[in-house]
Amino acid sequence: MPVKKQESIDTGERAMAAEKRPIVERRDFLKILGISGAAATLAGCGNTSIESGVEKVQSYVQPEDFVVPGNSVFYASTCTQCPSHCGVMGRVREGRVLKLEGNPNSIISNGKICGLGQASIQLQYNPDRLTTPMIREGGKLVTASWDQAMKIVNDGLGKDSRIKGNEIVFLTNSVSGHQKVLINNFLESYDSKNHIAYDSLSTQVGDQVRENIYGYTNPVHKIKEARLILSFGNDFLGAGVSPVYLANQYAQFRKAPRGTLIQIEPRMTLTGGNADRWYPIRPGTEGVFALGLANALIQHPEYDTTLPTELTESLKAYDKYTVGQITGINPDAIGHLIAMMWEKTPTLVLSGLSAEGHQQGYQNAYAIELLNVILGNVGKTVTAPMENPFPQMTHVNGNYQGLVALNNQLDAKNVKVLFMMGVNPVYTAPAFIELKNKLSNVPLKIAMVTQLDETAELCDVVLPLLSPVEEFGTHLASYQPEAIEIGIQQPLMEKLHAHTKSFGDVLLTLLKERDEKSYSKYPDYYSYIREAVVKSKPVFKSTLSDDDFWDSALMNGVLHVPLKEAQIDKVKIESVNLPKVETHPEDVNYPFYFVPSVKADMRDGRHANLPWLQESPDPMTTVVWDSWVEINPKTAQDMQVREGDILEIKSSMGSVLAKAYLFPGIQPNTVSIPFGQGHTAYGRYASNRGVNPFKIINPITDEKTGELALFATRVQVTKTALNEKVVKDEGPTTLQQGRKLVATMAADKAELSKEV
Amino acid sequence: MSLNNLIKNWTSFRSRRPYLDQYKNADYKWAMVIDLDACTGCNACTTACYAENNLPVVGKERYEKGHAMHWLRIERYWGEGESVPVDMVPDRGAQFLPMMCQQCEAAPCEVVCPVGATHHSADGLNTQVYNRCVGSRYCSANCPYKVRYFNWWQYADTAWPNPLELQLNPDVSVRSKGVMEKCTFCVQRLRESMDHAKTDGRLVRDGEVTTACAQACPTSAITFGNLANPQSQVAKKWKNQQIALEKDEQKKDENLRGYRIFEEFRTYPSVVYLERVRDLEA
Amino acid sequence: MNIKKIELFFFGILFSMLAQLGHAEAFHPGGAPGTQTIDGYNALGPKVEQPIEFPHYTHANVMKINCMYCHTYARRSAVSGIPRLDKCIGCHKMIPEVRDRPRIKKLFWYWDNHISIPWKKVHDLPDFVRFNHERHIQRFYFQDKRPVREVCGYCHGDVANMTTARRVKAISMGWCIDCHKKDHQISKVNLKTTNGPNDCWMCHK
Repeated sequence: MPVKKQESIDTGERAMAAEKRPIVERRDFLKILGISGAAATLAGCGNTSIESGVEKVQSYVQPEDFVVPGNSVFYASTCTQCPSHCGVMGRVREGRVLKLEGNPNSIISNGKICGLGQASIQLQYNPDRLTTPMIREGGKLVTASWDQAMKIVNDGLGKDSRIKGNEIVFLTNSVSGHQKVLINNFLESYDSKNHIAYDSLSTQVGDQVRENIYGYTNPVHKIKEARLILSFGNDFLGAGVSPVYLANQYAQFRKAPRGTLIQIEPRMTLTGGNADRWYPIRPGTEGVFALGLANALIQHPEYDTTLPTELTESLKAYDKYTVGQITGINPDAIGHLIAMMWEKTPTLVLSGLSAEGHQQGYQNAYAIELLNVILGNVGKTVTAPMENPFPQMTHVNGNYQGLVALNNQLDAKNVKVLFMMGVNPVYTAPAFIELKNKLSNVPLKIAMVTQLDETAELCDVVLPLLSPVEEFGTHLASYQPEAIEIGIQQPLMEKLHAHTKSFGDVLLTLLKERDEKSYSKYPDYYSYIREAVVKSKPVFKSTLSDDDFWDSALMNGVLHVPLKEAQIDKVKIESVNLPKVETHPEDVNYPFYFVPSVKADMRDGRHANLPWLQESPDPMTTVVWDSWVEINPKTAQDMQVREGDILEIKSSMGSVLAKAYLFPGIQPNTVSIPFGQGHTAYGRYASNRGVNPFKIINPITDEKTGELALFATRVQVTKTALNEKVVKDEGPTTLQQGRKLVATMAADKAELSKEV
Repeated sequence: MSLNNLIKNWTSFRSRRPYLDQYKNADYKWAMVIDLDACTGCNACTTACYAENNLPVVGKERYEKGHAMHWLRIERYWGEGESVPVDMVPDRGAQFLPMMCQQCEAAPCEVVCPVGATHHSADGLNTQVYNRCVGSRYCSANCPYKVRYFNWWQYADTAWPNPLELQLNPDVSVRSKGVMEKCTFCVQRLRESMDHAKTDGRLVRDGEVTTACAQACPTSAITFGNLANPQSQVAKKWKNQQIALEKDEQKKDENLRGYRIFEEFRTYPSVVYLERVRDLEA
Repeated sequence: MNIKKIELFFFGILFSMLAQLGHAEAFHPGGAPGTQTIDGYNALGPKVEQPIEFPHYTHANVMKINCMYCHTYARRSAVSGIPRLDKCIGCHKMIPEVRDRPRIKKLFWYWDNHISIPWKKVHDLPDFVRFNHERHIQRFYFQDKRPVREVCGYCHGDVANMTTARRVKAISMGWCIDCHKKDHQISKVNLKTTNGPNDCWMCHK
C-alpha cells in the first residue's frame, strides 16, 4: 500500500460520502466487496464459506468517481484524542474507516501517530456507544427522541430568558477552534461568561510560571537543538503536551551529535525510562534541587548573566549538602551536573507534572524555569510561540480551577442549567469535593457524550454525539511548535448511528432558539465551519477561490499561518517565588508519598473504554487491563510484599485496594497507582476494573495558583492477606540473562555521525 | 530412496539457506532495521499492528493465561545480567525491545511444520498459511524468539462485538481457533504495492511501501524496505553496519551498533537492531 | 537416533499430509465429483436467480460491448465488484425504445427509488482466498493484448452467450496452480516466458 495516497482524494465537499445520494443501507454497503469477502473468517480445515448464488454483491447506485471497491482512499483529518491535535489520515474503504495514520502535511504529527490516536477508531465502533438521547424519567434514564430531549433542554433554558448569566454553566475539557467559538457565542446569548474548562491533569502551574517569566504560557522548547536536557518529571515522550511531535524531536536530538537526557523524578515515567541518567528524588523537593543547581551555576567563573542581587543572595542557602539532605540525591551529583551543563550547550530545562503537583508546586516550577534563565537558554532552546491570528479559536487549557469554580457555584446553589461536554467530573474530581452530591442540586444537567460515563449517568438529559471520525471541526493545538497549525477535522465516514448528532449542530440549534436571525443562514455545523474557514482566507494569503480553498483545506487536513515569529523580549524574575529550604516533615500516620502515574494512553481515564488501549501494556510495567501499586523492591522486601499481594493504600481521604507490582523505578518511600481505571460506568471495557486514585487525593492545593497538588498526598500502605496474579506481558524474568537482547553502547564509543 | 537418504537430503537442503548473494539477482528481499536508541517503548507500533492485522483483544483472563495475540510486543528489561541487587536503581533507564517475527532466513519454525503451513517465500518472508495450519504448535515450540501466537479460542466470535467488527481490515484474514499466526511484515501491503509495481512494469520504489509499525512510529525508529535494492534505506543501513544476511557471526568494527538477536542460533534473521546508546558519563 | 522412531515420525507426517489432501478434496469448490469433465476443472455451477435477468448476450454479443465497459473495477482493483447502477442508467436513458420492457422497468424502479440492486454472487471463493482481478487483466489484456472475451472468459466462461452469468469452471486451487505453472509468453514480440507466482502468500494472507 502506498504510504501517501492523498492525491486520490476527491474534492467533493462532503468528501467522506462515497455516495452522492446516500441511499444504500449501511449494511449493504459493506457487502459490495466482490469475491474476497470483508472480515473473512476462516476455519482450520474443511470449513469454507462458498455460497455461490447465496451471498449478495450489492452495487453502488451512484458513487463518487474515485470510489473503487477494494481500493482504499485516504482522507486527512485531525485527531481529537488529546490536546496536541495531530494531523491524521483515515484509510477508508467501502464507506468505513479502517485505520488512522499520521498526516505528513501536519507539522505536529509529521506523518506519525501514537497508539491513543489510532484507538479513536474504537471510539467510533465501540459496542457501548450511546446511540439515542436519554432523559430522566422517574429517577431513571430512559431512551428518548431528540425532540423530547431538546424540549427538556429548551424548557430548562427558557426561551424568554428566565435564565441569565451565571445560572448557566458550560463545563468542558480543554477546547479550541469553532467548538470554543460556538460555546462562547451560546453563553453570550445568555449574558453568561460561565464557560468552565476543567482538566484533571492540567499543566496550569507550569503555564502560570512561564507566563509570569516570559509572557507566554506555552513557549516552544527546542528539544532538537539542545545538547543536554534536564527534565524534572516532564514526561514529554509519554503523556506530555504533544507526544508525537516531541518524540520526533527527541529522535533528532538523539542523532549525532547525540544529546544527553537527564530525568529527575520520584517515579520513572516513559521519558525517565529513556534517560541517560535517571535520578530518583523525594517528591516535592524538585525546586530545592533546581536551586541547588542554580546556586552552583552562578558561582561558576564563566557565569555572566545578571540576576537580581537579592535573588543571588537568597540562592546561597541552597548549598549542595542541604539540598542533598532534602532531596535524597547524592550532593556530588550537583557538581557533576553543573560540569555537564557548562560543557553541553545549549541546554534545556523542563518542569513536569510531578514537580508541579505540590503545595509549593509553583515555586518548584519557578526554580526549574530559573535554570533556563541562568543557563542563557531563553531565545535559544526556549523561544516564543508564533503569533496566533485567531485569538477566538485559541486553545483553552482546562485546569483544576475550573472544578473549584464549578464547586463554588454549586455550593452557592445558583446553577440552574449545567452543560457538560468532554468531561467526566464525577470520575475525575477528588473525593473531598463530593461533587456527586452537589450535582443533585442542579435542576437541569445535560451531558453530551459518545458513551454513558459516570457523570452522564447522573444527568437529566444525555445527548449522543458523533464520534471524532464522523465530525467536522477546527482545532488549534495547545502546543504550537513551528507554525500556527489549524487542524481541519472532517468525517471519515457517514455517521454510524442514525440518532447521533454533531456537537456543533446541537449548539447551533440552541443558538437558533436565541438568535434566529444571525444563525438561520447556517443549516448545519458544516456550513458554519466552512464559512468560517473560507472567511479566514486572507490570513493564509491564498489566491484560490472559496471552493478551492475549502477543498484544499480538507485535502491537506491542516492550514498553516505564514510564519510570523515572536520573541521573548523580556524575562521577569522575582526572588519571592523561591521554594523554601525545608524538608518535608515526616508523617507518622502516612509514611509513604503517593505519586500517581499518568499513562500516555489512558490519561485521566477518558480512554479506558477503548479495548486496544486496555490491552496495550503499560510501557514501564507491562501490566494490562487493571490497576496496580508500584512499590520499590527493597521496600517490598522489608514489608514482605510479593508481587500480586493486595495492598491497601490509605490516605486521610479514603483508601483503595490494588495488587503490588515490584518496580525498581520508584523511590523507596513512594508508591504509585496509575490514573485511568476504576470506572463504575463507561461501557464493558472500562467498568469494574481496577481502582481510581483520584478518590484518595488529599485536599492540598498549590499555594500560588490553587491547582490541586496531585502528587502531594501521603498514604499508609498495609499488606492484606490476599494475593492475585498480576496480569502483565513481562515474563518470569525482568533481566536479559546475559543474552544480547537489548545491547547498550557507551555514547563516546558510538560513531553516530558515520551512520546513514 | 530410503528414509536415511531423505533425511540426509533434507538436511543438505536446510543448510543451503542462506547462501552468499542469495538475493543478489532477486527482485525483493524484505528486511528491517530497528534503532533501539530511537525507540522509546511508547507502544504506538503495537497498536498499529492490532489495527492493521485484525489482532483480537483477548481480555484480562486470557491475557493472564498467556494467550495474548500481539504479533509485535515491546519487551522491557531492567538489566543485562542474570541478577541485580534488590536495591538496584535503574539510573540508566529501562531497556525496551520491540520483538516480532524476525523473518529468519533459516527459520527453525519452517522445518518442523508437519503440513508445510509455514515456509519461505521467494522474497524472503517466513510465511504462515492459515488455511493449511493444523495447529500442531511445533513451530511455536521451535521459535527462539517466541513470536508465534496460537489461537486458543474462537476470537472471531467474541473479540469484535458488533459493530466493532466494522473496523476489521478486509485485506487480512481473521484467524480462527486452532491456527498459528505471527507477524507477516504486513504482507498485504507488500503484495498490493508489488502488484501495482508489476502493472507499471517496475519494481517497488524505496519508501513506497512500509509496515504498519514503521509507519506509525513517532521516532521513526523502524526502517523497512527491500534489501535486494542496494539503494534502499534498509540496504544502506545493513551495509553501513557491516551486516551480511548470510553470515552467522558479524565481524565488524566495534563502534558499529548493528546486531541481530540470537545470531548464534544460526537463524539468520531479517531484522537488524541498532544498539541503544547511553551517555555513561551523565 | 533409532531409525524406527524416525520412520514412525515420518509416517506420522505423511499421514497428516494425506489427511490434509483428503480434506482439500472434500471442500473442492467444484462441487460433486460427477460434475467434473474431461479437463478436470469444468464444473457447471447452480443456476442463480437474479433480481433482474440481465442479458449478457444482448450487451456483449449483439451490441459487442467490451466486458470492461461495465465491469470497470476489474482492471483497477483486486475485486471486480458489480457495475454501478448509474452506469446502466447512463445508457438506458438514451434508449427510450426499450424503456417499456419489464427488465428495464425494473431497473428504473431501483434507480428512481435509489435502491441498490441485490445481485447474487455467482463466483464465490472461500474467505481466505484473495484472487486479484487487476493483475490478471493487466497481464493478459493490456500486456498480451489478448481479446477481452478470451481473457475474462478463461475463468468466467462464455458469458457473452449467457443471459445471467453462471459458473462454468470449478474455481479450485489446483486449477489456479495448473495455470500458474504454464509458461506464458511475456508478450507477442518477446518470446521469453514467465510463470505465475507460486507463493502461498499471494492469495492467502
